[in-house]
Amino acid sequence: MRINVRFAGAGGQGVILASVLLAKGYGLGENYNVVQTQSYGPEARGGACKAEVVVSDEEIDYMKVDEADVFVALNQIGYDIYAGCVKKGGIVLVNSTLVEAKDPRHYEIAATEMAESMGNPMAVNIITLGALTKLMPKVHFPTIEKEIIKKFQDPVRAANLEAYKMGYETMKHKLP
Amino acid sequence: MIKRKEGSLQKETQVVLQGNEACVKGALYAGCSFFAGYPITPSTEIIEMMSGEMPKTGGAFIQMEDEIASACAIIGARWGGSKAMTATSGPGYTLMQEAIGFAAVTETPTVIVNVQRGGPSTGQPTLSSQQDIYQARYGSHGDYEIIVLAPSSVQEMYDFTIRAFELAEQFRTPVILLADEVVGHMREKIMVREGCEEIRSQRQKYVVSPQADFFKGANTMVEGQLHDEEGRRIGHVAEKSGQFIHNINRKIQSNLDILSEVSTYCMEDADIAIVAYGSVARPSLNAVKHARGIRDDRMLPKVKMIKDLFKRGVGEMIHTDYSHLKVGLVKIDTVWPFPEKLLKQVTKGVDTVIVPEMNVGKYCREVQRVLKDKNVVSMPKCGGNIHTPMEILDEILKMAGLEKKKVGR
Repeated sequence: MRINVRFAGAGGQGVILASVLLAKGYGLGENYNVVQTQSYGPEARGGACKAEVVVSDEEIDYMKVDEADVFVALNQIGYDIYAGCVKKGGIVLVNSTLVEAKDPRHYEIAATEMAESMGNPMAVNIITLGALTKLMPKVHFPTIEKEIIKKFQDPVRAANLEAYKMGYETMKHKLP
Repeated sequence: MIKRKEGSLQKETQVVLQGNEACVKGALYAGCSFFAGYPITPSTEIIEMMSGEMPKTGGAFIQMEDEIASACAIIGARWGGSKAMTATSGPGYTLMQEAIGFAAVTETPTVIVNVQRGGPSTGQPTLSSQQDIYQARYGSHGDYEIIVLAPSSVQEMYDFTIRAFELAEQFRTPVILLADEVVGHMREKIMVREGCEEIRSQRQKYVVSPQADFFKGANTMVEGQLHDEEGRRIGHVAEKSGQFIHNINRKIQSNLDILSEVSTYCMEDADIAIVAYGSVARPSLNAVKHARGIRDDRMLPKVKMIKDLFKRGVGEMIHTDYSHLKVGLVKIDTVWPFPEKLLKQVTKGVDTVIVPEMNVGKYCREVQRVLKDKNVVSMPKCGGNIHTPMEILDEILKMAGLEKKKVGR
């Protein structure tokens, strides 16, 4: 079993952090082998940013993702570049505030809008991660929650836990 | 790919770490108590983490004015009795060359980490390369031998850093950990050991300097000019100088058996071998598995479960049309000194050797020199992206005289 996950967005949206939390959840909480890689330009904010996570129950040789099983787009540019590199039947999740999805089968979460309305505009990545946790196989809500608790200190921790839960619940209600 | 030393009774903890962080953990385990550096992408995480860890463990951290000073500072620290390390990337590594030669001549054990990025010059700060493979060997002027280790995983970033400290003390020489952006920035789940290992410098027969350590009882003189056992200059005496150069080269060249480390995969009956080092060994292994049609049968029930989720995707991914191809992988762990004997041994039955590397095809020349009777093909890739398994598989098929069939991915 090998799950290839790709995140794309702009530098500063928390693309890499979301991928790291997902990788830690799978790796430590669910005890799979994981590899997380990233690629970004020299600029600290605003450049194109991509992060990838490979999850497997075997040893992982190739560490990057060619065609993704799961693709998460936080902005339109990222979506346009990588939406074509998803396997047939793969899961696509978009931040619908900023991304206009071209396929009705793609899952949507209005992460930027939700983050702004809860007064925590930096939580776009964590809301998306919550929604993604609901969609992904073999990972459970508490395992990634635990990684969020480890990563942050209050009051950011509490705000992110709320965002994570909100993303998860919103996606839960959207699913049939 | 993850290889662990057997027989370790120490308690180990499982963590998800970045390659650069694992390097720091390894250095701390090996007893590193001095770090001097100048931050540069993609090695900055090492310096950043060291600045927090060194004071905690009673060591010293200095952010120097540049890489020349960093490399000099670690030499001085080692003379003062501290195990010392620095970390940099291509542009900084170039600046360190003079000090590396000085460390080689004064037989000072130091560990220098080069997390390679694309060059020449400031080149590509955030992308990967293996372009410094020759600079790591021949960077400083004059004739000297050096030990260079190339990690291909986060676990190896940890293990090889510890090994670098061990070899540096054992052979009284600078040791280079030649990583690249991919392994430096990649995160994986690894095992780290608790506590600290005591690595002692010992008087070795093959080391030129007579004392086991600097300034510990015996007369010590550190001298950049060629010198005798007492540290007296012999640069003007041709015969003695020739002997000195012979000795510092021989201490490494005549110990290839201790130093050389390669790992092999499916080489028993291979006709085609891929020889790779560093991160490129990973897509190479994936390509070998594809070519061999290797799939893990234990996983089939699980694959069926997940197949419902990713309908056609997973099923096609594990399918391959090339199951009859006898391809193997040789991963070189100690890239310098070149493991001539070992490479000849493991590629005995092979006709064709493919050498993928993230540069214009440098290390390949070394492989060609040693495997003269074989068809050695270079597979260079520049620009910052690592080879994909499919590119390597294409090369294998070309060498096997096959057209590429449809690969379901």
